[in-house]
Amino acid sequence: MTTATSRQATASTRAPAGRTQSRRTPAHLRRARTAALFLAPFLLLFVAMYAAPICYTVYQSLFRMHRDGLGLSAPTQVFAGLSNYGTALADPAFRGSLLRVLLIGIVQVPVMLGLALGLALLLDARTTLFKRFFRLAFFLPYALPGVIGAIMWSYLVAPGLSPITAAAHHLGLHLDLTSNAMLAPTIGNMLTWGWTGYNMLIIYSALQAIPAELSEAATMDGCSAWGIAWRIKIPLVRPALVLTTVFSIIGTAQLYNEPAILHNVAPNLSSTYTPIYAAYDAVDANNFNAAATESVILALLAFVLSFGFLKLVQRRGAAL
Amino acid sequence: MHSGRAVATAAALMTATALLAGCSSSGSTTGSAASSGPVKLDFWGWAPGYDQSVALWNKSHPDIQITFDKTASGSKGGYTKMLTAVQAGNAPCLAQVGYETLPSFAAAGALQDVTDATASAKSQFADWTWNQVTIGGKTYGAPVDTAPMALMYRKDLFAKYGITTPPATWDQYAADAAKVHAADPSVYLGDFGNDAYNYAGLAWQAGAPWFGTANQQWQVSINSAGNAKVASYWQGLLDKKLLKTDPSYDPSLYADMASGKILSDVNAVWDAPIIASSVKGTSGQWAVAPMPVWDASNPVYGNDGGSATAVLKGCAHAKEAAEFALWMSTDPDSVANLIKVTGIYPAATSGLSNPALSAPDPFYGGQKIYDVFNAEMPHINTSWQWGPTMTQTSTDLGDGLGQAGTGGATLPSVLGTVQSKTVAQMKQQGLTVTG
Repeated sequence: MTTATSRQATASTRAPAGRTQSRRTPAHLRRARTAALFLAPFLLLFVAMYAAPICYTVYQSLFRMHRDGLGLSAPTQVFAGLSNYGTALADPAFRGSLLRVLLIGIVQVPVMLGLALGLALLLDARTTLFKRFFRLAFFLPYALPGVIGAIMWSYLVAPGLSPITAAAHHLGLHLDLTSNAMLAPTIGNMLTWGWTGYNMLIIYSALQAIPAELSEAATMDGCSAWGIAWRIKIPLVRPALVLTTVFSIIGTAQLYNEPAILHNVAPNLSSTYTPIYAAYDAVDANNFNAAATESVILALLAFVLSFGFLKLVQRRGAAL
Repeated sequence: MHSGRAVATAAALMTATALLAGCSSSGSTTGSAASSGPVKLDFWGWAPGYDQSVALWNKSHPDIQITFDKTASGSKGGYTKMLTAVQAGNAPCLAQVGYETLPSFAAAGALQDVTDATASAKSQFADWTWNQVTIGGKTYGAPVDTAPMALMYRKDLFAKYGITTPPATWDQYAADAAKVHAADPSVYLGDFGNDAYNYAGLAWQAGAPWFGTANQQWQVSINSAGNAKVASYWQGLLDKKLLKTDPSYDPSLYADMASGKILSDVNAVWDAPIIASSVKGTSGQWAVAPMPVWDASNPVYGNDGGSATAVLKGCAHAKEAAEFALWMSTDPDSVANLIKVTGIYPAATSGLSNPALSAPDPFYGGQKIYDVFNAEMPHINTSWQWGPTMTQTSTDLGDGLGQAGTGGATLPSVLGTVQSKTVAQMKQQGLTVTG
């Protein structure tokens, strides 16, 4: 097919120069074909690895397994409409997991991004010493695989092993970092430790892109370093802040590694702690339809939150 | 330029083909093998020692070659992997599946009926173990072992804290727990872990069933009066903080055992080699005593585990797979290996006279530990039945045990939660259930 069409194309290119009308269209077509060819590898991978799994997940969420009586033989798959969604949303454990990631996100994301912004501004300040060392040091936790970081932290907080608890004990404090109340702060701490450096680097590179003249001019006008940071640098890295916030919202919605690893030392952490954890739990119970439903709900939530945030900042950006 | 395009198209097509092939080709072993050459079967499991039994088989059976792949243990992801593989149509022929999970696998349609291929071997196994692999009249594999429970304890430290004989009843166990903890508040007689099946063994011993069937209906009795008795006993020990609450099979548990902070463990026969390899430094100082009982005049013991070699759905060589499963559980050399390395208590009646059962164990001070389990066997309830949603039930119970250990919930309330969640789950799947 390719050969045939390209031969046609070649033929029309050779047509006399005067007939512009018939010349332009094939040239246009040819360009589109070239583009399509360059896009093909991406599209193929996109469809196979992204679109198809999403469609299959949505499809799976519309069915359920039906068994009869004792149900000790192979079940049949029946169409369930949206009833799986009703079941998932009525499940207090799943609702709790959604609420939990929301709460963790509301507290942890601002703390982490505030820290990242602060560190990036410090690195960007003219008077900072050992910049390269600090840049690397702050970024290092991100370079460590997330699971390894989580394992390290799980030993740092495990009852009986934790040096932090032991130190607090010496000061006369009773501190159990894996008690029910402390689980969310502990996980928030693990996230902040692992991801601050990454976000800092994104903000830092945005800071680097600000022309030096701006700061120089401000200094000449008598603006303090604080003033420069507040009035010039932060407004100019706003797009980077928006980007890191969206990434962080999505990342928090998909929270899994940290609680899953922490579960090993904190058996009181439930196996439906986060939505992905709950979905994996459903797979464990051989309930693939419930897992698909919970995944779709989570994806929708992440979508609504991140796009809602984008819309919000865009509107405010326009108002400013 | 012309040929460049062709190359690009070809490359894209090849990528696509490779992608598609990647999704579908990995299960070739269960597909039809060539008419010539040996039959090749895959076997998924996690128990140590299974690979050696497979090697023994491969040496003596050139026509049927088994490849053993070690997975994560069942509850840590092994079962999920098997079920997912069945779903995807590329499951291995053989899998290690615990009795507790077989009904769930049957309910998922993940097992292959091998009744005909195994019928003649029924008489070689203890009746109740055969019942564990026979669900709704269909046999799905061969039983490997049973798992009588016992008290594994530090002989030297028991003596140090003035416990002259290991506790024979649960009352004595509670008294000894108090005694040890009073002598040294950092030392505990035992650990209350979060393993749902270990807890099930305690309920099993107390004759407090979780599941039953009558008139084609499931009955769930996880919060029955019998179960409440067991729960309030352990809750009483937890309330007095007489037990350590390290997670089951966690490094922290073994660290505490090694440093003499935890003196004993009530666990199954297969845990004996696990303790031995986890706290090597204390070798020779351990011993095995019968599990404490409720009523000394009428001792009854518990069972925690026991598994089958099951044949999974989609196996193209179910007959050969069943042949191997039966061989692994009955062949004297294989059983001897499984006793020594895996720590099984054989399900095959011929296995009970296996010389490996009377070997002294140096870790347990040269004790012939199987003597203890042999004596317990006639006093183990053999009517225990597992439900069809055990993965869910055990996860919920494990969560609850973890909460109970940290004081976030009490055991009786945990059992109530697990009961209602289990019933809800079964109803949601369309099963007929009362309770």
